[in-house]
Amino acid sequence: MSRRVLPFLLGGLLAGCDHTTPLVPTNVAATSGDAQTDTVARVLPAPLVVTVMVEGGNPVVGAPVVWAVQSGGGSVTAATVTDAAGQASATWTLGPIAGAQSVHVTASGRSVTFTATALPDAPTQASKNAGDKQNAAPGAALPVPYAVLVRDQYGNPVPGVTVNWAAAAGQGSVSPAAGVTGAGGVATTVHTLGPTLGADTVTATVPVLAVTLTFVSTGLRQAILVATVPIAPNYGIHDTFVRNGIAFVCAWNTGVMIFDVGSGARGGSPSNPQLITTIATAGGETHNAWWFWNGASKQYLFVGQEGAGTIGSSSQGDIHVVDVSNLASPFEVGSFQLTGAGTHNFWMDEPNRILYAAYYNAGVVALNVSGTLSGSLSARGIDTLAPGGPGNTYTWGVQLYNGSLYAIDMLSGLWQLNTANGLLSVAAGGNNVPERYSSDLWVANGYAYTGTWGTRSAPGNAVKVWQLNPTTGAPTLVDSIITSGIGTVSDVEVSSNGKLLMFSAEYGPNAGFHFYSLADPAHPTFLYKYPVGGNGVHTATFGYIGGGVYAFGAKDPTSPALLILDVTSLTQ
Amino acid sequence: MPHRLIVLWCLTGVWIAGPLAAQEPHVRFSGQAIALLTTTNAVPGGATLTEGRLVQPVLMLEGAALGDHLQLHAMGDFEGWTIQHGQLATGAYGEGYYDRRHPHTYVHELMFTGGDLLGRWDGDVVVSLSAGKGFAPFGTDDPMSRPPMLYPANHHLAQILERAVAVTAITAGKVTLEGGTFNGDEPEYPSQWPKWNRFGDSWALRASGRPVSGLEAQVSRAHVHSPEHRQGAGTDQEKWSASARWERAVAGRPAYALAEWARTAEAGGAYLLHSALVEGAYGLGRYRPYFRLERTDRTEDQRVFGEPFRSVRPHLDSSILGITRWTISTLGAQVRAWRRGAVAFSPTAEVAFANVAKVGGGVFDPQVFYGRTSFATLTVGIRADWGMGGHRMGYYRGTPMAEPMTMPMDHQHPEP
Repeated sequence: MSRRVLPFLLGGLLAGCDHTTPLVPTNVAATSGDAQTDTVARVLPAPLVVTVMVEGGNPVVGAPVVWAVQSGGGSVTAATVTDAAGQASATWTLGPIAGAQSVHVTASGRSVTFTATALPDAPTQASKNAGDKQNAAPGAALPVPYAVLVRDQYGNPVPGVTVNWAAAAGQGSVSPAAGVTGAGGVATTVHTLGPTLGADTVTATVPVLAVTLTFVSTGLRQAILVATVPIAPNYGIHDTFVRNGIAFVCAWNTGVMIFDVGSGARGGSPSNPQLITTIATAGGETHNAWWFWNGASKQYLFVGQEGAGTIGSSSQGDIHVVDVSNLASPFEVGSFQLTGAGTHNFWMDEPNRILYAAYYNAGVVALNVSGTLSGSLSARGIDTLAPGGPGNTYTWGVQLYNGSLYAIDMLSGLWQLNTANGLLSVAAGGNNVPERYSSDLWVANGYAYTGTWGTRSAPGNAVKVWQLNPTTGAPTLVDSIITSGIGTVSDVEVSSNGKLLMFSAEYGPNAGFHFYSLADPAHPTFLYKYPVGGNGVHTATFGYIGGGVYAFGAKDPTSPALLILDVTSLTQ
Repeated sequence: MPHRLIVLWCLTGVWIAGPLAAQEPHVRFSGQAIALLTTTNAVPGGATLTEGRLVQPVLMLEGAALGDHLQLHAMGDFEGWTIQHGQLATGAYGEGYYDRRHPHTYVHELMFTGGDLLGRWDGDVVVSLSAGKGFAPFGTDDPMSRPPMLYPANHHLAQILERAVAVTAITAGKVTLEGGTFNGDEPEYPSQWPKWNRFGDSWALRASGRPVSGLEAQVSRAHVHSPEHRQGAGTDQEKWSASARWERAVAGRPAYALAEWARTAEAGGAYLLHSALVEGAYGLGRYRPYFRLERTDRTEDQRVFGEPFRSVRPHLDSSILGITRWTISTLGAQVRAWRRGAVAFSPTAEVAFANVAKVGGGVFDPQVFYGRTSFATLTVGIRADWGMGGHRMGYYRGTPMAEPMTMPMDHQHPEP
């Protein structure tokens, strides 16, 4: 370049010798060729032209001009000095990077910049950009949309390219089924997994390229939180009874909160529970409930009141009977009181209209609840049995199964009781969990599953698995699930199809919902944990609504809430 | 919070000393703290535990104006900083702690009293009205102002403190009747204020008499709504207290004795808790031996996972595992090592022997829980005191203290 500049300098010197004024450029202007648009790597159709002038607008002849590509990676072929019109021109070949590109021109310290817009070349390649290989529950929409990126030979994203989507396997769906790439060269769709477990496949076809890409995600078992319903911190929420899309939430001194969670009564759903009404029974301390149709005319809700007690020795609390024939206007019609003891969980022999109630230090109580109920039900007591005997009875819950009544006692463990129209006697079991206090139970598949509570000589972190004798129904311990990081298993339930064991856990870092597969009912295997902070979950029960299976859980204080999980996938 | 508290004190002091100066207002600051080391085997699981802590770090402001017709009792307690996880104290319980005394709230007392409101209109009768945050008119003096360093187990049976309270006191001659209403909820952590919308859900009455010089007796009764559940859904307590307190010079030396009985019935009588306590002290020059005997019942709650000194709170369902009875004998001695004006340092040592027994039914077995049923606790410490002598925490009668508290410090009784 120095050799090209030399004549101009010599000319200047000679002019100086002649004592004339040198022509110093004072302006450089882009005369033509600026702001063109073309495809990357192409030569712009119009040359770039600059004019070099002195003050007054006269052109400078022979002025050196320097051209330099500033961005975009292209190249220029250019004249290095101005012609008689003071102009110099260049041919600009765009670089391969789509977007704005520029060329910088300098003459005697003055400069000007040409810009051009480089468009992507024709699409030549397509690739998966996002969303592949996700896991979710069957039937769930994947949280990250599938994305396809279309590019040209230089790697520039190409907009406006059609991409067709199709669910290829797994009975899932996509939305939208077709689209075009946006400015970033990306087209997306949302994949909703099919209803079954396992891999779901979606294809993305780019017709212009005749390319097909395959996205694969997997339907896994998991619980999905669909609703959190805050409950007044009136000690919070205890048990919940769910049937036919109605949830009876026992919220201590607030009373029983009756929610439509899919009955159609108020347009509620599991993800959008609608409160129908609240009924506060006498004395408050509402703990548990059972909704019972008493023939065609009456519907009753039996409500358990859990009063003050000393674990292992004393208790208080009555059974309250609420007429819920009109769910919107329930009213208490009667109660049952047992002197010296208080009630806990229920089980109902609905065909025979016998209510079995765990009664802590009194053991098990059977009540005749047929016909119309009113006033004191003290005359309706059929039988009472303390299975462990005095000082060794503090019964938590009961369940009918295959003609036997199984009772779980905090002190004396699991019992099989005979019941003949409510007349109770011990059949088998008992004194079989000496190292722990027992809590809840559920019987299914020929097995009983019992929880544990607090701390005896061992902590309440176990679920005991009992095989029931096929002939006699007598329980035999066959396995235990020990969960670290919890202090109590406070509720146990098996799904109606017998495939899923759920228990609620409190007090510890692993508190929350725990789910186990019952593929082998004698030896449950871990499936899933839904952790709940604070003290965890006090109770958990299944609700079967609209083809789905939901877990209704009572989140412990200090911010109590009804948690509703979609656990449908876990029951498959 | 403490900074705000200090500012409040300063402002209050200025207020009293400023506009009311013509009424001869007076302000008194004081404080105390005990640096102590406690070792005990009253530890769940059978271990022995030793802890050093700074306990009862308090600053107090007392003021009066308008010829004592307007009084202020304010005390800041900084245990929220120094014993965040409580203080080892065999048998103590309350506010979710077991065998540890809970830290008090930063604003321990902030009470304004209008004394002798009716002046001469009611003759010699003195009617006063107090309001603020402080003690309900129930039971005996706060253990902080009594000789032993460790609190007794009956603290939550014999005092009701740190509430938003309004108290009316009527003193006629040697008899005082106090009636107060307050919020039932007890604090859950040091920076927590009373739940204002529960003010008035609980009440207390106390009748005190001073038949002869140096002797004071009281009986009191209180109804406390849902003390352990802040939102008010918990069970109520019905409380009774009776005590006799004697304090005078014997053979020219200060002597002090207290006998008290307290009873709390909770949940309609489902839980009955009793306490009997006697304690005394005697001044022997620089030395002050003291003793305390108590037998106190307490409920045993389900404990927090991994934290056997804490109970689940608020609990669900039945969480009472049983009732235990604690018999605790405490012997100690304090020596005034150094005193300049209102400031004194007093090394103190005390030993406590405790025995626990199960009362009634329930699954709680102290032998299983502690690995033993007899315990020993040794505490040594240095009590630093700045003018605290004479303060009997929990009395807002609007009258000059006829019987100032001379224990544990002895500012009122010069060395013979």
